[in-house]
Amino acid sequence: MKNFLFPFAQTLFVSILVLSFYAISWFGESYVLRAEPYDPFDPFYGEYVMLQYPDLTATDTIEPGTIYFTIKEGPDRFAVIDKIENEPFFGAIRGYSYDNRIVTEQLEQFYVEQGLGPELEDARDLQLTVDVAPWGSIRPKDLEIRNE
Amino acid sequence: MEMKRKLYQWRDEGFIDQASIERILAFEKQQPQKKKVPLLLMISLIFLALAIFSFIAANWQLMPDLLKVSLVLLLMWIFYGLGYAAERKQFGWPILFRLIGLAMFAASIIVTAQTFHFSLSNSVLPWAMFLAALGHYFYWRHMSYTLVGFFFGLQVLTSALPAISWVEWGLFIAITLAWFYFSKEALPIVFSWLLLFGSGLMLWSLIDYTSALWPIWTLFTLVFLLILAPQKEPILRPLYLIIGAIQLIVYLGVRGEANLSFIDFSWLEVILLAVVSIGIFGLCFIKFRTISWIAILGTVGLLLVDDTAIGIAIVAQLSALSYLIMAQRQERSLTLGFVYFIIVQFVIYVIYVWERLDMSLFFLIGALLLFILSGIGWWINRKKEGAIT
Repeated sequence: MKNFLFPFAQTLFVSILVLSFYAISWFGESYVLRAEPYDPFDPFYGEYVMLQYPDLTATDTIEPGTIYFTIKEGPDRFAVIDKIENEPFFGAIRGYSYDNRIVTEQLEQFYVEQGLGPELEDARDLQLTVDVAPWGSIRPKDLEIRNE
Repeated sequence: MEMKRKLYQWRDEGFIDQASIERILAFEKQQPQKKKVPLLLMISLIFLALAIFSFIAANWQLMPDLLKVSLVLLLMWIFYGLGYAAERKQFGWPILFRLIGLAMFAASIIVTAQTFHFSLSNSVLPWAMFLAALGHYFYWRHMSYTLVGFFFGLQVLTSALPAISWVEWGLFIAITLAWFYFSKEALPIVFSWLLLFGSGLMLWSLIDYTSALWPIWTLFTLVFLLILAPQKEPILRPLYLIIGAIQLIVYLGVRGEANLSFIDFSWLEVILLAVVSIGIFGLCFIKFRTISWIAILGTVGLLLVDDTAIGIAIVAQLSALSYLIMAQRQERSLTLGFVYFIIVQFVIYVIYVWERLDMSLFFLIGALLLFILSGIGWWINRKKEGAIT
């Protein structure tokens, strides 16, 4: 059925994409990050919260620009930086460092339920649960108000 | 019934006989009957679709992740199915259904990204759509897919900014080159050529050396495409000349108006460009004479050194005039040449006369110039017509 080759290939592509996110949870470990919102939602992209992470900071020995890091659970159950380098290594999460802050593509924004954005932004103290695969991919799972 | 009544009326008036009526009715009976969809059924279907969509929208946040993605994929399959059925049973527009199916594929990626909080500020979506659109084009050979392919090809280039990798760049060129090579119609050839030109401009992002001359190097490199596919030269000829002319005008404007201190200047590069342009001129003169004009761009590197841009202005003026004269002598269309000539005059005015001239005088001179040019055009045409008669 040559006519359905394209929808089949396209479904396969989306399935691999979806599977790769599930694989992060199947093979990876779960961490909770302290998070803070820093930007109101954008009406064009739907409701999402832009996040930054007070515990993810680069050391002075790290040059600003592209960085590679792993995280581990800290003493107060929130995740902290385990290893950080300017060169890539296996299992590392790729990110960028500027002004000692660390940003990484998949941790920058979190889509939330309609109407929940302002509430989370007002709360300011948030926590993000993420699954991190052994190969360094991240799957953000849950954004909640932090209780410490 | 209406037809039968008319036929009997014509028979009674003596226009046709009974035998003709029977032949007409027998012929009409063999024609395929129009299948009418009952109006009520159509309205109910529309309302059902609206109800389904509003139900999905209302429960979107509560749906499991997989269900969201599957729903959009299901819609994609429905539209491809409709496309297939429309082609087989000859109803509706198969192309439109498949285009909607393709759009649903894009939607499924967006929904997947949102569901899994995956950032879309990368080139995953443009790449997937670019490849899918090209696949559709080569399978169904319909021009609408080339439009989609061109749009997402541009998206691949722009979304890869500011830092595209060599692998991604090489892959993009390889695929676009294949699109160019295996296309036979004008539109995909022009689109793939423009994307190849666009990938040349990506050298600004790929290499630390900020050359002012990447567009010229790219245009010169693209001449070799004509050696690869010489039969496509008639389609691409105006493109080489138009892009060459735009480049010369942009260089003239930018050099005349801006300080180019942010650009890396190298004598080695400008001399190399001039030498290469001689080679390009030789190659074009032998094989593709009409596009030899682009070799003029080889002088731009050397002329950029002068910050008054006088050199580029002279080259632009001379090239415009000589193109017009040559085109007139060879009895080719003068339209593009005239447009180029007029733009060159305007750019030169803006660069050199703008600050010294009163605005009204500027427009007056521009209008006079246009008036004189149209007079010359009218006179040439009149002379031509006279010669023919």
